[in-house]
Amino acid sequence: MKRKEQILQLIGEMASFMLDENPMRLVISLHQEEDGLHLAVIDDVDHTEQEIVELERILNSRKRPELSSYYGAMTGHDLLGSARLDLLGWSIKHADVMKMQQGIKIDLWIGGDRFDSRQFNIPEKEK
Amino acid sequence: MTHRTLQSLLIIILAGMIVTAFAVDGTDIFSAFWEIQHHPARLFSDFIEVAGIGGALLNAALVGALGLVFSAIAGIPISGPNWAAVLTMTGFGLFGKTPLNVLPIIVGVYLAARIIGKGLKDYLIIALFGTALGPLVSALALEIGLPPLPAVLAGAAGGLVTGFFLPSIAVAMLHMHQGYNLYNMGLTCGFFGLFAAAFIRGFGGSLPALSVWASEPHPVQSLMVPVLSVFLLISAVVSGGWSAFTGLKRVLRMPGRLPSDFMDSASPESALVNAGLIGLIGSAYVWAVGADFSGPVLGGLLTIIGFGAFGTHLKNSWPVVTGVILAVLATGNSLAAPGPILAAIFCTTLAPLAGEFGVPVGIISGIIHFIMVSRSGSWHGGMDLYNNGFAGGLTATIIVAVIQWYRTNRGEK
Repeated sequence: MKRKEQILQLIGEMASFMLDENPMRLVISLHQEEDGLHLAVIDDVDHTEQEIVELERILNSRKRPELSSYYGAMTGHDLLGSARLDLLGWSIKHADVMKMQQGIKIDLWIGGDRFDSRQFNIPEKEK
Repeated sequence: MTHRTLQSLLIIILAGMIVTAFAVDGTDIFSAFWEIQHHPARLFSDFIEVAGIGGALLNAALVGALGLVFSAIAGIPISGPNWAAVLTMTGFGLFGKTPLNVLPIIVGVYLAARIIGKGLKDYLIIALFGTALGPLVSALALEIGLPPLPAVLAGAAGGLVTGFFLPSIAVAMLHMHQGYNLYNMGLTCGFFGLFAAAFIRGFGGSLPALSVWASEPHPVQSLMVPVLSVFLLISAVVSGGWSAFTGLKRVLRMPGRLPSDFMDSASPESALVNAGLIGLIGSAYVWAVGADFSGPVLGGLLTIIGFGAFGTHLKNSWPVVTGVILAVLATGNSLAAPGPILAAIFCTTLAPLAGEFGVPVGIISGIIHFIMVSRSGSWHGGMDLYNNGFAGGLTATIIVAVIQWYRTNRGEK
């Protein structure tokens, strides 16, 4: 149940963020493993390099247990106002943001302490 | 500026308060400190009036030190939220929090965390801000007429139970206003305080309003916050040069909605500049309206300096303060009276509403907030020290509900 809620929160916040830009195409793909999951989100909105760098910075921010365990409850739930990817960044394992031919692809990896991120093809440079 | 430097700044501030306490009242501060531990702590119990400036400063510094110690025990480096928590605890150590009445609550929150497999680090912010209910512990121990040993046990048990309930309620309250009330633990503690006050009154106890307020301030009281603010500004410039001021622009662009850690999303130096400016302008306002630099007012100023790193800045605050001033004048109150001056300082709990939805919403929030906060203290028997957080939470909830309803349904056929 906890995992289901976590996934719903994750998808909710990501969708809220992407839909702020009013894309004509939005794909959300979920891949679950026993002790982790991979979420890919793809849209067709053009983003500048600077936006992509900033996105990656926010999503890969340092872990903040004091914030994620408390304020993280708002993730994907309390959506009035701007989307807040920092709520995700404090609790996910890793994120990649890639520019596509049209739009961007955001890959998010989440897992417990036993989660083996190698199963999910995190680039070598990030290990 | 590193987390370690921020920790050192807080240590210097607390040590400075203790040194000042000694300088003003000498060794009398120990008996004064002990007197504070025996005094009821509900709103308003100005410890400066109870035991003098020295004892109150010592008490405040020790309460703040507990915040620092528990942050270190939890392994959470100093950043926006615990910077705000330590300074808030210190401020309320001047009128309601004591080391004895906050400890059981922190332990209670820790027990709740352990039961669900979490640690203190996960609920540190709830534990530190949850000490707003310290007066409940004092009330059980000192005000309901129990003999000494049962009184101490009742206070400790009450604090543990209170702390145990806080994490679950805090998250539920967060959803009500969606992060637009910065003092969410004020709403949480006020909500819990409604039940606590009902139980105490239901079993024959009484919680008469307290009105202990220092109206003849010692010069230390008037100078304390301006000196602290200048210290923060100098620290920021020494560490980051003038870029600390340019980084302030980034802070001012943020709505401030919970959780907005300005130290993380801008820079520690920019957050300190913001905090220092808030302290100076807040002090100037208190001086301009002729209000007393009493314990609660100093506590309020320390709190907004703390939240200068965690959601409050001048751009998102002025509309709400303007709303409070308009409401005070429209209801025929004095801007310098205890309730209005505290409302003008603490109403910045609603700053994110102005930051996200604009100036008119901020002004309306301030007006509603003043009307609500003038009455909400008696509902929980003055046991929730963050009464403005309680009223602010109710105000934010109704405003967020209306905005959400409007945005969701407008244009619907």
